Amino acid sequence: MAEVTEHKRWLQLPPDCSIASIRQVYETIREAFSRNDRLEIDCSAVDKVDVTSIQLLLSTAETGKAQGRPVVLTAFSQSLRNTLRRAGFSSEAMIDQHFHKKDGA
Amino acid sequence: MSSMDPTEAFRQEASELFETLEGALLDLGLRPDDRELVDSAFRALHTIKGSGAMFGFDRVAAFTHEFETAFELVRKGEIKPTQELIAVALAAKDYIRALIEAPDSADSIIGDAILDDLKRFVSPTAQVLPVGSNADIPPVSESRPAGWQLRLEFESHILRNGSNPIDLLDDLCKLGPCFVVPLTDGVPLLDELEPEDCYLKWDVTLHGACDKAAIDDVFMFVQDEMKLTLAQVERAAPVLAMPIADVELAAPPAPAPTAASVPAAAEPAAPSERKREEPRRTEERGIATVRVQAERLDELMDRVGELVIAQARLSQLAAVGSDLSIKMIAEEIERLAASLRDTTMGARMVPIGSLFGRFRRLVHDLSRDLGKPVEFVTSGEDTELDKTMIECLADPLVHLIRNAIDHGIEDTETRAAAGKTEQGRIELQAIHSGAQVLVTVKDNGGGLNTARIRAKAEELIAPGAAMSDHEIHQFLFHPGFSTAQTISALSGRGVGMDVVKRTIENMRGSIDLSTKAGEGTTVTLRLPLTLAIIEGLLIRVGEGRYIIPLPAVEECVELTAEDERSRGRNFLNVRGNLVPFLRLRDILDVPGAPGQHQKTIIISTGETRVGLVADQIIGNHQTVIKSLSKLHSDVTIFSGATILGDGTAALILDVAQLVALAQSRAEKQQMSEAA
Repeated sequence: MAEVTEHKRWLQLPPDCSIASIRQVYETIREAFSRNDRLEIDCSAVDKVDVTSIQLLLSTAETGKAQGRPVVLTAFSQSLRNTLRRAGFSSEAMIDQHFHKKDGA
Repeated sequence: MSSMDPTEAFRQEASELFETLEGALLDLGLRPDDRELVDSAFRALHTIKGSGAMFGFDRVAAFTHEFETAFELVRKGEIKPTQELIAVALAAKDYIRALIEAPDSADSIIGDAILDDLKRFVSPTAQVLPVGSNADIPPVSESRPAGWQLRLEFESHILRNGSNPIDLLDDLCKLGPCFVVPLTDGVPLLDELEPEDCYLKWDVTLHGACDKAAIDDVFMFVQDEMKLTLAQVERAAPVLAMPIADVELAAPPAPAPTAASVPAAAEPAAPSERKREEPRRTEERGIATVRVQAERLDELMDRVGELVIAQARLSQLAAVGSDLSIKMIAEEIERLAASLRDTTMGARMVPIGSLFGRFRRLVHDLSRDLGKPVEFVTSGEDTELDKTMIECLADPLVHLIRNAIDHGIEDTETRAAAGKTEQGRIELQAIHSGAQVLVTVKDNGGGLNTARIRAKAEELIAPGAAMSDHEIHQFLFHPGFSTAQTISALSGRGVGMDVVKRTIENMRGSIDLSTKAGEGTTVTLRLPLTLAIIEGLLIRVGEGRYIIPLPAVEECVELTAEDERSRGRNFLNVRGNLVPFLRLRDILDVPGAPGQHQKTIIISTGETRVGLVADQIIGNHQTVIKSLSKLHSDVTIFSGATILGDGTAALILDVAQLVALAQSRAEKQQMSEAA
C-alpha cells in the first residue's frame, strides 16, 4: 500500500510508485499541493518505478511551475535514477531540468 | 570438444579482473591514500591489456594502454584520486567491458571522450580541447553506420495492459547504440492527469545497421496500440557526441532549467556525461543475459531429472490412494515438473549456427589444399539443439565434410567432362522435424560408387552374396573400411565413418545415407533435441517394462490372428503396406506364452518402418535417461535405462538398432524366398 508521510510541506514517496499504487500517490500529492504553497518531495524510499511514476513527477514539477508554487524533488533513489536513465533522462542536467531536482539530491 | 574457446576464456578472465578493478577504484574513493589499491587497479589493468592483445582484442589493448598512461601520475603519487577521477576511471572500465562484450556498440567517440576526461582530471594544465567543441563531433566525411530514427507514441491505455514502454526501449537498445529522447510536452498538469495513462513519447536514434524486421519484432505485441514512425538515416548524425543539453533543447518545448536547480558546472560537463552513459547502459543491458557455467546447467538438469522421477512416484502413489487432495497436489506437481523440465531444457538450447560457423574455415582450407573449388552453403543456423548435442556433433560433421570434399566432389576436369559447374557445392543444413533435428550434409559430387564398395566389401563377406544397395552402403560405416585408393592426410584410412555412426548412435540419433550416381550424396543425421529427458512409450514384454522413445513411434496396432499365423514371415499388413516386425519376446528371450492381445508398435527411423510386438502398451512416460554401466557396453539394443514411478528400472530400447536388425532380417528373408 502506498503510504505517504507528510510533515507540512514535506512529502516522502512510498517504495511502490508503480502503476499498482500510482493513483494513491497521485491523490496524496494533489492533496498536499492543495494545502501548501510550496512542496518538497523526498524520493529516497522509491523502489518500484515505471512510466506512471515518471509522468506523475513530471506533472507535479510542471504544475508547481505553472502555478508559481515551488516544488522540489529530493534524494532520488537508485531505482528511480535507473528507471529515469532507461527512459532517456540520461544525465543529471536533464533530470534537473525536467524534475526541478534539488541540488545534491 | 569440451575445451573452452580461448576468446571465451579471456572474457571470463576479464570479467573477474573487472570486478577487481571496480572494487579497487571504489575503495580508492574511500581511501585515496591507499597505495595497495592503486597497485591492485594497475595490476588488473595491465593483465587486461596483456591478455587482450594476446587474444586479438586490439581495441581493448590500445584503450587500456591509454588508460594506464593517463593514470600513471596517480600511480606515481603525484596526483590524488579525486571522486571525479574515480568516476571517469569507472566509466573507462565500463567502456573496456563494452569493448570486450559488445564491441560493435562501443563507439570509439565514447572512448576518446573518456580518455579526454581522464587526461583533464589527472593533468589540469594539459592541453585538452574544451568539452563540447567540434573536436567531440566527428567530421562529416567520417564514415558512419546507417541507423534509424524512430518516434514512439503509445495509446493512452497501454500501461493498463501491463505493457511497459521502458522495457521496449531496453529491447531497442539491444539492437545497437541508442540515443533516447523522452518527449514530455504531452504530460498534463496534475488536475488533468490520469495517473495510469501514458503521455510520454520518445524519439530514438538507433545507430548501426539493423533490419527493420528486428525493430518491428521489438514492438510486435504492442503494434496495435501504438504509432511507430520509422525513418532510415543513411548517415547517422554525430548525435552521440552532441551535448545532451543541445539535443534536449532541440526537442519539443521542455521546461527551462531553473537557476536554483542546475549547478553552473552541469552544462559544460554534459557532453562527456552523455558519452559515459553509453558503456554504463551496455552494462545494464547485460543484465538481460547471465553467463552460467555449463556444469551448473548440467547439475540443474540432473536435479530436474531427479524431481521428475520423484514426481512419477508421487503420481503413482496418488493414483492408487483415495485421497482427493493428494491427487490434486500430485497433478499440480506433475504440471510444474513438466514446466520446469521444459524451461530447463530450453535454457540449455544453443543455436547450431555457433557450430556451423567453424566449418567455413575447414571447407576453405580443404578446397585450397585439394585444388577443388567448393561453394559452402549453410542454412538453418537458428535451429536449436541441446548444448551437449552441439559439442558431440562437431567431430562427426568434420568427418562428413572432409569426406564430401575429398571423396564426393570430383576434380575440376572430371566435373567439366560430366557437364557440371567447375565449382562443387556442399550444403550443410539443420531443420526441426517433430521432436528431432535433422542435420544434412549434401554434396553435388559423383555419388557413391556402389560397385567399388561391394568389391571391397567382398573382402569381408562371401563373394556374390545377395545384398541390397542399402546394405552395401552400410559397409561404409564398418571400422577400417575404405575404398580410397590413396591415403591422404584427410581421409582414406577407413577411420571416420564408423566413428560418425557410433557418435550419432550414442546420441540416440540415426544416420541415413542416400546417393545418386553422378549427382551427389546426402548424409542425414537425425538427432533428438536433448539427451537428458525424453517422452517415452512405456510397454510391457513378459514381466519386464521397456521404453520406446516417443518421437520414433508412428502408431500402435493390434497384432491380429492373421498376423500371428504368419509366424515365420514376420510381415505385418498395415493398410496395404507390408511392414516387417520383430517379436520383442523372442529378441529379449522372455520365457512363457505371450498374452492373448499382443500389440504392435510401429516405429520408424527416416524412411524405414518396423513393428515391435509387445504384450501391453502401458502409456506415455517422462523418461529421465540414465546411462548403462560399462558392463553393458556390448548390449546394442538398449540405449539406456530409466527409473519408473514404483522405483523399478526400465530399459530404453535403441530404435536405430532394432530397425537395422528388422531390416536385415527382412532383406535376408526376401532374398531367401527369391532364391
